[in-house]
Amino acid sequence: MGDFRSILPLCEGEQHVIAATQHLVKALGASKNLDDDLRKILSQLDSHLSAMTILSPESRGTGFREVEQQFKWAEEKIRGWESNQSLMWDSDPLEASEYLKAVVEIQTLVEGLPRLSMSGTRKQKELLNRAESILQTAMSRLEEELVHILVKHKQYFELGNMSFQYCGKDVVYDESFVSVEDMRIEEASQRNNSGNESVDCVPDLVHPQVIPHLKSIATVMFASSYDQEFCQAFISVRRDALEEYLVILKVEKFSIEDVLKMDWNCLNFEIQKWIRALNVIIRYLASEKRLCGQVFEDLGFLNPFCFVEISKVSLLHLLNFGDAIAMGTPEPQKLFRLLDMYEVVADNLLYIDTLFSEEAGTCVRIEFHQLLRRLADSARATLFTFGNAIAANASTSPVPRGEIHPLTRYVMNYIKTLPIYCSILNVLLKDQNAAASNPVAELENGLEVSSMAYCPMACHLRSITCILEAKLDSKSKLYKDCALQHIFLMNNYHYMVEKAKSPELKLFFGDEWIREHIVKFKQHATSYERATWSSALSLLRVGSAGSSSTSKTILKDKCRGFIIAFEEVYKSQTGWSIPDPKLREDLQISTSQKVVLAYRNFTGRNSADIGEKYIKYTTDDLEKYILDLFEGSPKSLQRSRSRRN
Amino acid sequence: MRATDNQGSFLNRISIRRNQVVSMDGNHEQELQDLELFQKQVADRFSDLLSSSSEDGADALLSVSWLRKLVDVFLCCDADFKAVLVVGRDPSQISKPPLDRLVPEYLDRVVKALDVCNAVSHGVEAVRHYQKLAEIAVSAFEQRPIFDGQVRRAKKALNSLMLTLEEQEGSNLKSAERTWSFGRRTANITDRALPGRVHSLSWNMAKGWSAAKQIQAMSANLVMPRGAESSGLASPVYIMSTVMVFVMWALVAAIPCQERNGLPTYFPWPRQQGWAQSMVALQEKISEEWKKKREKPRLAGLLEETQRLERLGQSLIEFAESFQFPTGAEGFEEVVAQVAELAETCKKMEEGLVPLQQQIREVFHTLVRSRTEILHVLDQGGKVSAPPM
Repeated sequence: MGDFRSILPLCEGEQHVIAATQHLVKALGASKNLDDDLRKILSQLDSHLSAMTILSPESRGTGFREVEQQFKWAEEKIRGWESNQSLMWDSDPLEASEYLKAVVEIQTLVEGLPRLSMSGTRKQKELLNRAESILQTAMSRLEEELVHILVKHKQYFELGNMSFQYCGKDVVYDESFVSVEDMRIEEASQRNNSGNESVDCVPDLVHPQVIPHLKSIATVMFASSYDQEFCQAFISVRRDALEEYLVILKVEKFSIEDVLKMDWNCLNFEIQKWIRALNVIIRYLASEKRLCGQVFEDLGFLNPFCFVEISKVSLLHLLNFGDAIAMGTPEPQKLFRLLDMYEVVADNLLYIDTLFSEEAGTCVRIEFHQLLRRLADSARATLFTFGNAIAANASTSPVPRGEIHPLTRYVMNYIKTLPIYCSILNVLLKDQNAAASNPVAELENGLEVSSMAYCPMACHLRSITCILEAKLDSKSKLYKDCALQHIFLMNNYHYMVEKAKSPELKLFFGDEWIREHIVKFKQHATSYERATWSSALSLLRVGSAGSSSTSKTILKDKCRGFIIAFEEVYKSQTGWSIPDPKLREDLQISTSQKVVLAYRNFTGRNSADIGEKYIKYTTDDLEKYILDLFEGSPKSLQRSRSRRN
Repeated sequence: MRATDNQGSFLNRISIRRNQVVSMDGNHEQELQDLELFQKQVADRFSDLLSSSSEDGADALLSVSWLRKLVDVFLCCDADFKAVLVVGRDPSQISKPPLDRLVPEYLDRVVKALDVCNAVSHGVEAVRHYQKLAEIAVSAFEQRPIFDGQVRRAKKALNSLMLTLEEQEGSNLKSAERTWSFGRRTANITDRALPGRVHSLSWNMAKGWSAAKQIQAMSANLVMPRGAESSGLASPVYIMSTVMVFVMWALVAAIPCQERNGLPTYFPWPRQQGWAQSMVALQEKISEEWKKKREKPRLAGLLEETQRLERLGQSLIEFAESFQFPTGAEGFEEVVAQVAELAETCKKMEEGLVPLQQQIREVFHTLVRSRTEILHVLDQGGKVSAPPM
């Protein structure tokens, strides 16, 4: 079968124009300074022009009858499929391309027929009407085929490694101030930095084999000005696919009201899903954009428009959830999730900017930038709330046994998880500290390591511990026993120092801070000794001059007094606790040294005067009993001794 | 979105305080003046809106451009309101009764309004889909000479449009959209190709979310302050709440929204008050329309352009059904005029819908910001207790 183009004549003037244009195109095509795109366009134009000029003057007279015959062939081809329920590209791609050829024939006819010499006649008009009619049938059919191909050959974005690579920073921090298990946090704080592997590998969302089919349908529908239908169908199916994908990713839709009322466990779970979904969706969208690019290649500037139409609704859902989270009340346990969210948006922002770089995508771009700002504000507010919450922490009863306050544990473990977010926190806190003096500048020539102790996050960490210290000081006042106050503070400061010395925190707290705080807890140890023992030991101090002048009775009283004092201390302080074995041992040794030495001197010098009977304990006894102190289980000497004797 | 110029526009909107910034010492007389000014601003803005919404004017009631004005009025009122409630205000003032109850209630309404904004925003997406279908019909009808093929093309698009518009309330918004391009055959094919395809996955809002319930909840505890309360800050909180309920209600009535069964048509607003007069007048007009609509409970909504599409679409389908090539000149002129009207309507939608959507988004962001600011003041007033530990 021939081609309408060869039958439909052109008027002579037009022929000249075409010849001239073709000449120009050839000349231009020979130029070396052309990029590939332009070269492609020129070569296409050239082939079009050639097709038009094939029409020789001889063919000009060819009759209407011939055109009609050509038309009949195409019409039959198209009508033939009308009753056929099966889908063209499924049954026979060759048939499909024959079909497309027939459509092109009709198109050419519709374009060329009005130029026929006998244009305007009734017959010609009728033929045109039939052609338009059959064209509409074909377009309708192609639209269905398009939808079908898109649906049937849709590929789900392989979650595969993506889902497993992204584990986020699995920091579980839903603890309240009361119960904190150190181990859990330590285990959890191993950072798994991933999620941003690469966007280099862009999987296909539609089987690559059908892309040419989609393109050929697009070309034909656009050529017949059925571009609106094509775009609507394409957008509609692809948008549904994206929504479906969100369902696969288990992203649920919540109203903002729901999110604000949601309990933390659910919220935590949803946030983790959201983070994963955002990471995956941005990569999915890179594929989507490529698909749009492939299908709409050479068809004008519809690609970005369609891409935005496809993705906008689903992205709005993701954005809304982010906004809702950022609106929530700032609570300390939310910080890590907020920082995770901030990080995932920040990390993807560049991709988002690239994906939506065109005018049509401006709104999406701006929304994400706004979300990032909002998450930053919310994270910052939460961070400061944390400090306020420490300051506001009220308790009326002291921690039993002078042990480590749950608040101390909570704060220090909380702080310990922050360094993995160091870079984000430095960004978030930078503006806050900008006005304050910046020691980093002064230290620029110093060691780089030491400057880490002056980064905004480090300063903030220390400001938090500062609040904590003030709080602990006021909490120590809850103990009536002054010595226990010191034990409490010593324990808590020691705990803080131990945490600050951990590899995660060491560089941020810095040697200076650690030194200062070691001094602090040691001071409390000294103060404890003074508060507990000074009065008892003063009994053992005997005037060095004239021992004989000291009466035996006084010596006996003093000895008894000391024994009673010791037994009382023993009774109360065996019930106190120093959880850290090393610290406990140190204090026991130091106490032992002072007490046992004084006792040995006293008894050694005066045993004859006092009499064995009154020296209830040997120095070895005392040494042994001192080791019972701070074990956290109250014991009594009187009873045990009476039982023993 | 016009997020970048938000700040500028916010400052522009605080016209109310321009002359009064100096005397912000919170004395009683000043406060009374502020309140009066706020009431007057609200009254003026709505009276402008009422007078511009003539039947045949450029901004017909519930047209896209009218809704854009409405949203603008809302943004202005919100800025004025914040100027009264927040700017230069001693935080302790709003933490005292009755404001310690009224302000949190207001914030609760704000959160509900945010969800309404989202629902409406999705609804605008649906209206844009109506527009796209109508545009296909327009471009088909505008072909000259007009042949069977183009008429059939237009008819197909219009049928999809009518099907979508006639979707019943309570059915899924998106399913209508989905069916548009699939002829019956493709629908079968699609089902065949994808057994078990879940059609209900295109929820727009959370499952069970209802625009009507949301509006009801927003207005349920809205009571006009009386007696001594009415002279204080309770009054602007009430006025702004009313404005918010009205604007959200009007948007829900105009734009397709998830679940509008039971949308209230009556509100006990004090029409004798100057600030409420025009607003109540508008509310009554819209309620009338809504009652008419309820007789055929369709999803499409009261948007003027949507109704026009429905009317023209119906008429043009009739034409298409009786069309036979070649066209007789008889009655064709009327069709040409209808097509022109359809084209004009599409043009208005094209020009207005995306900006409307952006404005609604702006309302969303503005409300979020307002909420943060008010919470901040509340916090300073010491009313928001420290978070639980």
